[in-house]
Amino acid sequence: MNSERLEGRLAGIVGADHVVAAESCAPYAVDDKAPKAVVFPADAQELSEVMKLASSERLSVVPWGSGTKIGLGGIPARVDLVVGLTRLNQIIDYEPGDLTATFQAGMLLREAQTSLHSGGQFLPFDPARYERATIGGILATNSSGPWRHRYGTARDLVIGIRVVHADGTLTKGGAKVVKSVSGYDMSKLYVGSLGTLGIILEATLRLYPLPAVERTWIALFLTGEAAGCAVAQILHSTIVCTRVELLSPFAAQSVGRQAGCALPADTVAVAVSVGSMSEAVDAQIAAIRKLCHQERAVAGFLVEGSAQESLWRAICDFPSASGDGRSWATLKASVSLAKVLETIHRAEALGRDLGLESAAVSEAGCGIVRLYWRGETGSPEKDPTSIAKGVEELRRWVLRDGGSLVILSARPAIKASVDVWGPVGNALFLMRELKRQFDSQGLLNPGRFVGGI
Amino acid sequence: MDKRRIVEGLSAIVGREWVISDPDELTVYECDGMTYLEKALPDVVVLPDSTEQVAEVVKFCSREQLPFLPRGAGTGLSGGAIAVQGGVIIGLNRMNRILEIDLANQRAVVEPGLVNIALTQAVQDHGHYFAPDPASQAASSIGGNVAENAGGPHCLKHGTTTMHILGLELVLASGEIVQVGGKTLDYPGYDLTGLFVGSEGTLGIATKVTVRLLRQAEASKTLLASFRTIDAASEVVSEIIATGIIPSALEMMDRHIIKALEEWLQIGYPEGAGAVLLIELDGPAAEIEAQAKGIEQICAQHGILDLRIAKDEQERTLLWKGRKGAVAAVGRITHEFYLQDGVIPRTKLPQVLREIEAIAERNAFVIANVFHAGDGNLHPLICFDSRRKGELQRAIAAGAEIMRLCLSVGGSITGEHGIGMEKIDFVPLMYSPDDLEAMRRVRVAFDPSLRCNPGKLLPTTRSCSETNVTYRPHRVEREGLAQRY
Repeated sequence: MNSERLEGRLAGIVGADHVVAAESCAPYAVDDKAPKAVVFPADAQELSEVMKLASSERLSVVPWGSGTKIGLGGIPARVDLVVGLTRLNQIIDYEPGDLTATFQAGMLLREAQTSLHSGGQFLPFDPARYERATIGGILATNSSGPWRHRYGTARDLVIGIRVVHADGTLTKGGAKVVKSVSGYDMSKLYVGSLGTLGIILEATLRLYPLPAVERTWIALFLTGEAAGCAVAQILHSTIVCTRVELLSPFAAQSVGRQAGCALPADTVAVAVSVGSMSEAVDAQIAAIRKLCHQERAVAGFLVEGSAQESLWRAICDFPSASGDGRSWATLKASVSLAKVLETIHRAEALGRDLGLESAAVSEAGCGIVRLYWRGETGSPEKDPTSIAKGVEELRRWVLRDGGSLVILSARPAIKASVDVWGPVGNALFLMRELKRQFDSQGLLNPGRFVGGI
Repeated sequence: MDKRRIVEGLSAIVGREWVISDPDELTVYECDGMTYLEKALPDVVVLPDSTEQVAEVVKFCSREQLPFLPRGAGTGLSGGAIAVQGGVIIGLNRMNRILEIDLANQRAVVEPGLVNIALTQAVQDHGHYFAPDPASQAASSIGGNVAENAGGPHCLKHGTTTMHILGLELVLASGEIVQVGGKTLDYPGYDLTGLFVGSEGTLGIATKVTVRLLRQAEASKTLLASFRTIDAASEVVSEIIATGIIPSALEMMDRHIIKALEEWLQIGYPEGAGAVLLIELDGPAAEIEAQAKGIEQICAQHGILDLRIAKDEQERTLLWKGRKGAVAAVGRITHEFYLQDGVIPRTKLPQVLREIEAIAERNAFVIANVFHAGDGNLHPLICFDSRRKGELQRAIAAGAEIMRLCLSVGGSITGEHGIGMEKIDFVPLMYSPDDLEAMRRVRVAFDPSLRCNPGKLLPTTRSCSETNVTYRPHRVEREGLAQRY
């Protein structure tokens, strides 16, 4: 079908005002591949009609929330149609007494949070680019941030889900109650599947009460080892932290600048927050402070109120744009807790060897290390193969320990030279079979998921 | 195929002493914890000792076109471990080793036959524990907990089994061995570990389980609060949650349970108590002290009859004794009971409990309630006597009414016991044909032969052409209480 005809058919479903075509599609390019059209359905019915059209015309489809995580995944095999979900932006259900709420996929996390705060509750998601992230995007990518330390990730929080399948069929899984073992736990299948099995339409999530008080202690250390010891001490104590973050010197400096608190150079920072009733927060912060001091922290600060909010926002959003055209390649290593520091050191050493600047931010209590590489000043167009080489080398080491290393975002030139996901083990054939069962024509995000799914 | 050949084939894999074929011995395996609806004998029970043996047994079943199913301790309450179509039961009880404890990373790797409580016992001296604590935890196996996504009183705060399972080794229906997930988080690819947990043995057999261990809390506090009415206790539940406190457990018992327990254990609940709340807090000492004070205030505002706070571990055990003995105590007031497992939004508790009471009155049954009030997971026990004509049938009908009631307020027909055989005909009340079709696709992706625990979890259509399995009406269907689609 040619572009004009496609535009007409789509307009027939959603109205001409909600279709973008031709050159205007450029902002919706995925790894430089622009779609033929972008369509914004208003509801489940329209989305289903769009998918029926796509499947009868064999058009490949990229579901799109706000595009903040569009860098995740391999370079798509084809991009015919982008399905924008921003008009599906309502809270369907919110009953504070049940600690659950149901959201449409296109709802901005920020707006969801505002509604929940009025009920004294919140959704413990703090992915990068919080301001623009949508609920559906967070679920499809299973994005997470520091809060995962206490609250887990989307896979732990979604209790019910509705999806539109490749052929337009609408199905649901789970329920709107916190416990249900009726049938397969379908939410688990869709969360983190990058839209390759179906488009998430809405989801019911478990919520948490806002803590009465939350405070953060930042401790600075001269070496990563000392910082690592402090983190281990905290993790093996009975202190209940909401967030435990370890920042490499580069990241600590940058986050400090963003958050308006100048941190001395060449120190590794550990930021730990505790949320509870005031007396319990004070007691635990005091214990954290003491542990850090014992592990030779050279300085420490208590951060609360709006400064605390800016600090954590800066940590989640690290790295902020540098303004000189150099872009970071962002990686996520998942390793055992004991290997967090070594992972950071290896990434830094590899970076030095390859002439790259490195930074690391780690959810150290979960074994999650976000690593950042970019060319040094003056060589912005560093050969992409050096980063690809670094990824392969680091991945080899991470895999040996039973971990994984994934590229969260990188320029297409880098993604073209290295598998963004890495090996997924001997269950790949099962994943392929699931894909075949759910999307036999391979229309949903083809080529972006593991093993070329 | 003749049974002698099955026994010989399986004996060649595991040794003759680990193959059970004597009809009397097989009777042990005719049902699991669901004893009242259906029973069925397997042709053979086999007890392998390793992943490789499980794989060989499954391959044998595949060659011989035999249905098969895994079984742990057989404590399941929905009939998931009943060999409804005969075939081979693969008992995993010999595979009960702890393979690895990695406290630095708060992980353990265990075999599926390991009894739940044994894992906590192995790590508690080091300040850790395995959080899922179904009532059966002294007997049930971790593999069974995985299959059912077991709950328990403390999953209100710490989550059901699925949150604590990070990786699995699986033997698929083809006999292939695959690894999904592992000790680290966020494995790339579809979350097959999450999908497998709660799949009731229909997607394959877990032969190794990687679990998360939790750090024990600094302190815990157990409170027992008695009220005159269920409504007052329900309001207290809502208010505790509304003030931002998430107890580790929040359990309720009604007047029938209280009466049965008093007759048996003389716990000493106050005169006139119509509802008892068992509330447990865990966390930093300073936090739970403050929370306990808050809870005391809420209770006082709702006309509490009596509040007891455990001063030590011994008293804590005493306060839990009633809750733990509740289901057994009901045996004293009835010949049999039919245990339900519906879930409702917490805010609907008073309304739903009133309607359950009305169902009881209409049927002239006692329906006793002991349940996880904090997460809305009800456990109505419908008391009946099958020796009286038509009572079992009416009890099943009352159970169906309760399931419909739970669904009508946006709930679920099962919170932790599973579908198994018991609720298979009620699944279509909760899910549309399209929803079920999506689940069937999952099933087929893992096991195209559909020989892995057939007749469980997913209702097969009456004219199912994809299986070579003969259609067999469920008891509720035979008795005209439900229909297949």
